[in-house]
Amino acid sequence: MPGRAEGCATGADVGLPAKLARPFLHILASLLLTIPALAEDTAPKPFAGDIPILHEEAAAAGIDHSYGGPWEFFVGGGGAAFDCNDDRFPDVFLAGGKGEGAFYANRSRAGGRLSFEKVPQDLDPKDLQNVTGAYPLDIDQDGRQDLVLSRVGGNILLKGLPECRFEKANFPWNFDGGRAWTTAFSAIFEPGATYPTLAFGNYVDRAAPGSPWGTCADNVLIRPKKAGDGSETKGGAAEAGRPDYSEPFALSPGYCALSMLFTDWNRSGEPSLRITNDRQYYRGGEEQLWRVEPGRAPRPYRKADGWQHLSIWGMGIAEGDVDNDGYPDYALTSMGDTKLQFLDREFEDAPTYRDEAYQRGATAHRPYVHDAGKPSTGWHAGFADFNNDTALDLFIAKGNVEAMPDFAAYDPDNLLMGGFDGNFTEVGEEAGIALPTKGRGALIADFNLDGAADLLVVNRGQKASLFRNLGGKAGFGTRPLGNFVKVKLAQTGANRDAIGAKLAVKIGAKTLNRTIRVGGGHASGISGFVHVGLGTAERAEIRVQWPDGEWSHPYRVFADNFVLIDRGADAARYWYPDADRPEPPEPAVTARSGASAETVADP
Amino acid sequence: MMGKRRVTLVLAALAAIGSPPLSATAGEPAWSEKAIKERIDPASLVGMIAGLQLENLAEEGRDLFEARFTTLDGAGRPNATQAIVPTAPRRPAEFAFQRLAGPDANACSSCHNEPVTGGAGGFVANAFVSEGFESANFDTLDAQFSNERGTNHLFGAGLIELLAREMSADLAGLRRAALRQARDAGEPVRAGLSSKGVDFGRITALPDGSVDLTELSGVDDDLVVRPFTQKGVMTSLRQFTVNAMNQHHGMQADERWGTRWTGMADFDGDAHEAELGTGEISALVAFQATLAPPREETPDDEAWAEAASRGRTIFAGLGCESCHRPALPLKSLAFEDPGPVDMAGTLRRGDVEAPATYDLATLEWAKRLPRNDKGEVMVPLFGDLKRHRIADSRTPELGNETLAQRFVERDVFVTAEALGPRRHGALRPPRRHHDAGRGDPRPRG
Repeated sequence: MPGRAEGCATGADVGLPAKLARPFLHILASLLLTIPALAEDTAPKPFAGDIPILHEEAAAAGIDHSYGGPWEFFVGGGGAAFDCNDDRFPDVFLAGGKGEGAFYANRSRAGGRLSFEKVPQDLDPKDLQNVTGAYPLDIDQDGRQDLVLSRVGGNILLKGLPECRFEKANFPWNFDGGRAWTTAFSAIFEPGATYPTLAFGNYVDRAAPGSPWGTCADNVLIRPKKAGDGSETKGGAAEAGRPDYSEPFALSPGYCALSMLFTDWNRSGEPSLRITNDRQYYRGGEEQLWRVEPGRAPRPYRKADGWQHLSIWGMGIAEGDVDNDGYPDYALTSMGDTKLQFLDREFEDAPTYRDEAYQRGATAHRPYVHDAGKPSTGWHAGFADFNNDTALDLFIAKGNVEAMPDFAAYDPDNLLMGGFDGNFTEVGEEAGIALPTKGRGALIADFNLDGAADLLVVNRGQKASLFRNLGGKAGFGTRPLGNFVKVKLAQTGANRDAIGAKLAVKIGAKTLNRTIRVGGGHASGISGFVHVGLGTAERAEIRVQWPDGEWSHPYRVFADNFVLIDRGADAARYWYPDADRPEPPEPAVTARSGASAETVADP
Repeated sequence: MMGKRRVTLVLAALAAIGSPPLSATAGEPAWSEKAIKERIDPASLVGMIAGLQLENLAEEGRDLFEARFTTLDGAGRPNATQAIVPTAPRRPAEFAFQRLAGPDANACSSCHNEPVTGGAGGFVANAFVSEGFESANFDTLDAQFSNERGTNHLFGAGLIELLAREMSADLAGLRRAALRQARDAGEPVRAGLSSKGVDFGRITALPDGSVDLTELSGVDDDLVVRPFTQKGVMTSLRQFTVNAMNQHHGMQADERWGTRWTGMADFDGDAHEAELGTGEISALVAFQATLAPPREETPDDEAWAEAASRGRTIFAGLGCESCHRPALPLKSLAFEDPGPVDMAGTLRRGDVEAPATYDLATLEWAKRLPRNDKGEVMVPLFGDLKRHRIADSRTPELGNETLAQRFVERDVFVTAEALGPRRHGALRPPRRHHDAGRGDPRPRG
């Protein structure tokens, strides 16, 4: 109404007699007083557990690496963390995009500051260019980690040699890397196989008419040929005791995969291949799950099987048993959204999932700082227990594709801490990872073997970030996190690293589940110790379900230890990082991180 | 008259309800049965605490040790079991007081009282050790559900823990040296593990940094000497205190059941948050750590003295001293709290800005402790802090428990310190070796 003062109308204003207006005013006043209280009740509660302090020290640690290049490298940007020099400290390979990928040997001391040293390679530099991502895997089963490089225009298999040296093995292993734009990878050992089955996820077929719209390339599954199966030429790789990947199988249709993962979604012992796809380019596509049954051609799950249509800008897959029910749960990154999927057990043996990201506070759809009202762009996703409280936390790498104006430009990575109520709380800012970077792939690994998960994030067009987990935030600095155990499995014969094995770690009445897997995330893979946060438990019983389905007896281990479990062994062996490793060289002080690194004491 | 009296009573009651007269110190009504009237500020427990200051802290601990906790303090745990890892039952506990699963006492001193506070307990004060079932508490004495144990005394417990800490450090040092040697030589190194003259078997360090533990003897795989409880499964007084306060009283320490590790301020669901802070636990630790150790004395009576002397000779002659070592040497009487080997869930050194150090050397009883020629205190424990298998197929009657506990088999126990309050006067042969099975009214002491 013109000329009338705006604000709350009183009883007199609305024409009520004074007698009636008085109680009305009381009610109104009490309502107004309760509004702030209600607001307080609905405000997110601060995370009650330890918030890990992640200290960025890439430059001080000797990591100086960027991922970049034109349109083809808007996606990808991953790396690999694995031990390539037999000291069990995770070493690193980082994809460079148009530029060269780089190998870094880990020179950190246990519990100390992080330190890496670049390792030159006697490889054709061109082979290290155009790399989008990398996954470590012992392909030829010689006890050394090899490396799968996903590339734009021909994938490469590198055979691991001593002291973090590598040689190209495409020819000896009969592997034709193809010419596709590869952005995803996963691997599994199928029953009876000597070597792993490899799956490559491809993006846009740039040569197809009408590209890029609706021209997604097929994905590829390559089973190793068996010696003596009559399908290979005499004197071939398989007969010579080498992997033979000469028969690729097209997984058609492809819908522009950006991550794939062999996962035993129904605990059948037969992992299926889950693929997350980018709806930006496909037409009529969706998320995919392929049955991969031994000796049979892969078949996609369809609606009739219970697989429900889902169309997202799928970027990354993380697998973890968030609710400790024994079945894997999945986080799928996208643009302006994150899915957190739980198997809907109402449908018997059907891959039907409920999305509980909203209920559990894990949508991570907009930046939590510098929020300009624009949606986030999620890439790598990884579950890990960053504070060792037993609950899985979720890391998501975030970053604008390049300069998409409708999406957040300042888009910090997420650290969603899992709570004991099954919900997640964002602590990225308090943890120290809210940087204005364009995150892509990431490596969650304990680089200094102190029992706390560290983090390396590959950024597009910017230097990679390396965060050392200093421990939980405390009034006086940092304090140690919960207890942990790190487990490395080994078996003889094929599949030495027990890929596909499941760990059931029992503490009190709770069982924490982990699976050894290769794939997922965004163009990034890790191998080595499996990290399990134990909270306040001083002891744990570990049972292993080996890849062939056989369960072990319980292994009794004490917390805060690294344990090696060899199949068939009566007891786990304890392993200790070399306490006498030389002190790494002092970092060159840089404007970016050198000064702050000097002020941080070793935990 | 009656009417007037009734009015007076009503007025008094109303006065009590309306504005209770408060005690001068803590804002509690004068008749309040609240045991913790003032919290102990953990910030005051930093650095060296010695002499009178330490005695005062120990007195605060004694008050808590003797306090009768009630629901006013948060005693009881309707939504938590006795398990050492925070565990909620599937349904609220049926009984607020339960002799087997606990809570089974409202004061530490209800059991630890012979001959004085901090001592052992009579048969009636036996405790029951069992898993924290999440689904049920069994009201049965059947040994398949719990082990019945005598109440241990805590005299000299501070010295015992200090011995264990030094032994753990020795063993870790030997392991590190063996690993270094194996890495340098590129071949396995078999190394003996011995500390303070106690042999813990051997380890084989492998060049890859792993350790073969199959020849280990009497100590856990992580080489941490855990000196407390009959099984030797408790690392420290602090850990023992945190566990026991929950099990026996339903008083939950924040350092394990607080929001940091459970997400809840009132995990046990009794409407009391933060029942025990780190200050209260520290005081309880200080009380126990400063309890004087039992002493060996020569009785005035000649006959007793002669008998004791003869008994000592027989004790040595039978080989009892191979396990019941009369004394072990201790380098330092500085008792740091939190200690060096506790894990998450028990306050650790790193959880505080600076730990407190209780200087036991400044206590009156410490001045009377014997020392060796190196100046080390000879702790008169009649034990070795090592676990032994005390029953086998030839003597099965010595193993009267049916449940293993925390990775320790049912017939394996840590050597009991043979000096104790129920043996005052003269040494008696170790009771354990004379137990006659489950029917024996004297469970493991």
